[in-house]
Amino acid sequence: MSSTGFNSRNGTGQTYANGPSQNPGMGFNIGSQAPYSPMPTKGPVAPGAGLYNSGPYQPGPPAGPYQPGPPAGAYQPGPPAGAFQPGPQAGPYQPAAPVSSYHPPPGQPPLTRPPMGGPPPTLTPPQSSSPAPRMPHAQATPPPPAAMSHNYYPNQPPQQSPSPAWQYGAAAPPAAAPHGAMRAPPSGPVGNHVGPMNPAATLLPPQPSPSSSAGYAPTPLAPVPHSTAPGSGPGPVPLHGYTQPGNASTPPPMAPHPYQPASAPYGALPTGHAMPPMGPPPMGNATPPPPKAEGPSAGNGHQAPYAFNHLENKMAGAPQSGPPGRHLGHYPSLPPGYNNTPASQGAAPPMHPPMQTAPSQYPPQPQLYQQPPGGPGLAQMSSSLASLSLQGNTPEALRVVNLLQERNLLPAGPIPAPTPPLPQDLQKVNCNPEVFRCTLSSIPQTQSLLNKAKLPLGLLLHPFKDLSVTLQLPVVTSSTIVRCRSCRTYINPFVSFLDQRRWKCNLCFRVNDVPEEFMYNPISRSYGEPQKRPEVQNATIEFIAPSEYMLRPPQPAVYLFVLDVSHNAVETGYLNVVCQSLLDNISALPGDTRTKVGFITFDSTIHFYNLQEGLSQPQMLIVSDIEEIFLPTPDSLLVNLNECKELVQDLLKSLPHIFEKTMETQSALGPALQAAFKLLSPTGGRVSVFQTQLPSMGVGALKSREDPNQRASAKDIQHLAPATDFYKKLALDCSGQQVAVDLFLLSAQYCDLASLGCISRYSAGSVYYYPSYHHQHNPAQVERFEKDLKRYLTRKIGFEAVMRIRCTKGLSIHTFHGNFFVRSTDLLSLPNVNPDAGFAVQMSIEENLVDMQVVSFQAALLYTSSKGERRIRVHTLCLPVVNSLTDVFAGADVQAVTGLLASMAVDRSVSASLGDARDAMTNAAIDSLASYRHAALTIQQPGLLAPACLRLFPLYVLALLKQKAFRTGTSTRLDDRVFSMCQLKFQPLVYAMLMIHPTLYRVDDLSDQGALNISERTIPQPRELQLSVEKLCREGAFLMDAGSVMHLWVGRSCNPSFLTQVLGVPDYAALPQNMYQLPELETAESQRTRAFIGWLREQRPFYPSLHIIRDDSPQKGDFMQNMIEDRTESALSYYEFLLHMQQQISK
Amino acid sequence: MVLFTMIARVADGLPLAASMQENEQPGRDLQKYQNQAKQLFRKLNEQSPDRCTLEAGDVSFHYLIEHGVCYLTLCEAVYPKKMAFGFLEDLQTEFYDNYGRKVPTVTRPYSFIEFDTYIQKMKKSYIDSRTRRNFGSINTELQDVQRIMVANIEEVLQRGEALSALDTKASNLTSLSKKYRSDAKYLNTRSTYAKVQPHLCF
Repeated sequence: MSSTGFNSRNGTGQTYANGPSQNPGMGFNIGSQAPYSPMPTKGPVAPGAGLYNSGPYQPGPPAGPYQPGPPAGAYQPGPPAGAFQPGPQAGPYQPAAPVSSYHPPPGQPPLTRPPMGGPPPTLTPPQSSSPAPRMPHAQATPPPPAAMSHNYYPNQPPQQSPSPAWQYGAAAPPAAAPHGAMRAPPSGPVGNHVGPMNPAATLLPPQPSPSSSAGYAPTPLAPVPHSTAPGSGPGPVPLHGYTQPGNASTPPPMAPHPYQPASAPYGALPTGHAMPPMGPPPMGNATPPPPKAEGPSAGNGHQAPYAFNHLENKMAGAPQSGPPGRHLGHYPSLPPGYNNTPASQGAAPPMHPPMQTAPSQYPPQPQLYQQPPGGPGLAQMSSSLASLSLQGNTPEALRVVNLLQERNLLPAGPIPAPTPPLPQDLQKVNCNPEVFRCTLSSIPQTQSLLNKAKLPLGLLLHPFKDLSVTLQLPVVTSSTIVRCRSCRTYINPFVSFLDQRRWKCNLCFRVNDVPEEFMYNPISRSYGEPQKRPEVQNATIEFIAPSEYMLRPPQPAVYLFVLDVSHNAVETGYLNVVCQSLLDNISALPGDTRTKVGFITFDSTIHFYNLQEGLSQPQMLIVSDIEEIFLPTPDSLLVNLNECKELVQDLLKSLPHIFEKTMETQSALGPALQAAFKLLSPTGGRVSVFQTQLPSMGVGALKSREDPNQRASAKDIQHLAPATDFYKKLALDCSGQQVAVDLFLLSAQYCDLASLGCISRYSAGSVYYYPSYHHQHNPAQVERFEKDLKRYLTRKIGFEAVMRIRCTKGLSIHTFHGNFFVRSTDLLSLPNVNPDAGFAVQMSIEENLVDMQVVSFQAALLYTSSKGERRIRVHTLCLPVVNSLTDVFAGADVQAVTGLLASMAVDRSVSASLGDARDAMTNAAIDSLASYRHAALTIQQPGLLAPACLRLFPLYVLALLKQKAFRTGTSTRLDDRVFSMCQLKFQPLVYAMLMIHPTLYRVDDLSDQGALNISERTIPQPRELQLSVEKLCREGAFLMDAGSVMHLWVGRSCNPSFLTQVLGVPDYAALPQNMYQLPELETAESQRTRAFIGWLREQRPFYPSLHIIRDDSPQKGDFMQNMIEDRTESALSYYEFLLHMQQQISK
Repeated sequence: MVLFTMIARVADGLPLAASMQENEQPGRDLQKYQNQAKQLFRKLNEQSPDRCTLEAGDVSFHYLIEHGVCYLTLCEAVYPKKMAFGFLEDLQTEFYDNYGRKVPTVTRPYSFIEFDTYIQKMKKSYIDSRTRRNFGSINTELQDVQRIMVANIEEVLQRGEALSALDTKASNLTSLSKKYRSDAKYLNTRSTYAKVQPHLCF
């Protein structure tokens, strides 16, 4: 299936020539289709169904009938965003008030703590709480016991069906729907959204006051449509369902007993309980959560109190749920709680005792912010209880976190990738997560399990990462490279040796012979120990390829520079920088004595430069026939750098002056690119294009498609897809001749990056964008451009590369993200590969991975180095297979999930609409947490619960929604938006994460405490702060690191010593408006600050520019827009977003 | 005109250097010839004639073996043979001077790919007709060029294959005869049973 998708995306399989022509008009869309397929499909069905199912009612909507109805009312994912804005409930948590009423210590502590005093009190609160606002959760709680058990199964299948519809799960299946079909769906969902949206929108605003009822109305309403089906949501059916749980809980004594230690933290408690009495039915339901297994054995009633809590928990649930009418009745009361955060929070805790224990158990974890000083008694108690009951073996990743209560979720430092639970010896050799990681570090055994988890499954790669610094890269020269005979997998540490002579492939399980040469180990110089070979000892390794891996002799490094020299370009003054940078780095260009360079400049005509050895000066050849471009001379346009260095240098020195006075305003980019292609096609190589305006002449001319007035107000963003397929076609031709095109866009005006970007996207190039570049007006941009160019020119490069990703039988890769062209179904053609390129792939589970302990993934990148060596870099990743949902959640890698989600959303916004993509992201967060709550959690507590490993997921999703790429309602230039999308797709995860969620540090009080020591430099390590204005203070100075840019915000009454010692100004008033550098002062403070910033810069390939911002500086907006936890006029605050999620989940 | 040039080690056919095909010849599949060249390298051994021209339709391979290194070039058939060998001689001298001693030790294919630069330069001077006059000396030196063995590339490449074909045919024959034998045995027994059966019935 998926293969068809790819083919379509590429046009045709192998023959590039046909590629473009086959699907002319469809350009981009096609490309993007395969990826989206899942999402659109989801749209129509899932919006309602998917959500609903995953909702607490999962059980309630017993079975299928329910699904059809819901979409209408049930689903208002879209609206929430909108609906909330009116922000009546803004009150409690609002950035505006820096003090954020969110952590009003007054309200909370009393509320939270007291009830928790001890077991007895705990008992009461729940009841009291039940009438309380948190009703929705409460009701959420009950279903699990019996009702759930019952409905679960019936429900399951339907649940799955929608889930494929959901972004990930589906991937393959939905793809089945041909484009036509896919096309259609998007509109479907849109329609749907709109439907619910309106009501919601209208209903919600009033919500604040009387509205409460109104606000919630949607929910009640929802059932109505459903009620057409048997189960009208909360109505009768649940009633039934609930009563049952009630019964289940009737044997309160039972409760204590089944309570098992292990399951306490996350286990399927209710189920556990239900089990004994209920017998078989619960069994069925219980299957998903692992703890159930322990159920029977659990009978240790020793932790009476704990059990007690639990019991109480149940009771709380049961009564509430009992009368279904009641919770309807509760809705009205809910909004108050809703509006009044503290209240709801206060109410929540009582239910929590067991859970709260968990946090206290882990000292490192962030303290509950409302933790009152007086609480130790309980805390101790509960923690001791917890330790008793949990025996401390809950993995940290599964610690339950109530997002509504825990505020300080950010760890102090960078977030490490989760370590998969593999046997030590395998994990020891496993691939570095910076190079190769999976969104789920424990692979679910079946697609249905994956669907249940509602998390996307995919790999993120950074295959050509510079490894010399962090990792050592073993290089093997061997005449035979040992590979599996059937699937061509390279031998790796995760294969098994049946004996000395045979090995079993870990991807296809074929048994292969060990070749004679492999028996000898060149490192230890011993014979007969194939297991000791470097290939079997290292998950990342590089082979020097024998000649079978070469279709032609390795190509030389060839660099062609295509420079815009129109009036506009000369105005920006970029030419000087490019030429100077080239002059400076000309000897550092990667290559050998064969390296070739060439230059083309263009305005309305194309200029070539004859650099033939022996000429006294470069010769300019002008071709003015741009309709049919030809090369004015067969050779000497590309010359050997070594032999013609002087001529090249002459040219670089004179180039900026030649065009100083030009009045030519037109730009014939298309023909210039054609010329570049002609010039490079015999050898292949790299074309670097510098462009400063919209191409206006010849093929590939574009028109402005952006209406600046619509930037903020437009309902949906248009023109994210290319206007012409010229650039894509040309890119495919380039790809066939091993030519990659890198695009540097320096422009203040709209340049239609959506169209131009295709030239790089399909030829495996990269796009660099310097908006409003000007040599005088924008010095920070100039500095960044210089530094970036240096990196660009001198970084490692691989030519004529291909990459293939293989995975264990049963898994299948269906969608790729990044810049490349997919040749045949799974071979990525990369005319160039650079160390700063990232890739992502989505996977589905085609066959159940039964009887497998582990699965492996292997990425092999075959390339020609700049020295003419053909090499193969192989990365192998091994991950365990798990069969319980809890374990799947435990292995979730929130950063990888976010990264993959962002890529999927980019595709989606091009193929469907931005609104769709936004909804899809929101739903991804909602669905996964809903699924966690309903399927993986046994203790149903109120609040928005997430496993610790996913606790940042909502935050990251919100951050994505506020990214330039996806934000709405804020004026965003189309090119900025498209560039941001490009970055999300081809940046390696580490850098993309910084862009998505910048890090904020307070830097006016840096100290050496806890500092790092790197080669005699002391680098202070301040704590990462949340991105909220509440964290700022006037007395401080804060550094925000957003990947490609850093902002240093200086408060109005900033610490004077910081001003004088670090910024070198006497007082705040003397701080200039535009400051882009820290003065090099000899003070300790200055050295510390510079060391810290320098250290941050060293960690990434491209140079982030530094902007020092006064509180009243016009650039403050750039700084503030990254305060993603705060509300803006067009977007929710983090807390509001959480409430929205909670509402969706408990619906 | 010289279409491409390759240099390889005779002992194991490892390619040492090559020139990129500069100008794509329309309608000519250089890839095919490159593959033939690679096959040829694998066939060559110490017993091979050290100078040889192999015809392949409208193009010819010319190769020269010296010091265990084979220099091969593909030219249009009309290209003068003596020019081609003059070109190869030049390459040989230069290559041997630069890399001769390292040849036996390298393991990586195209270890001396940088020699390409020199090949390109030589090629250019041989293409340029004006400079041809400068090579008058070569003309005399290479009188004996006429005696260079001429063969057909297909024949050379298939020589080995014919042998292996013979081999497979022979082994086919063996297995067939074995099968015949067992079949015959089986038939014999069956007929014996057939004969015995009536007796038993009675």
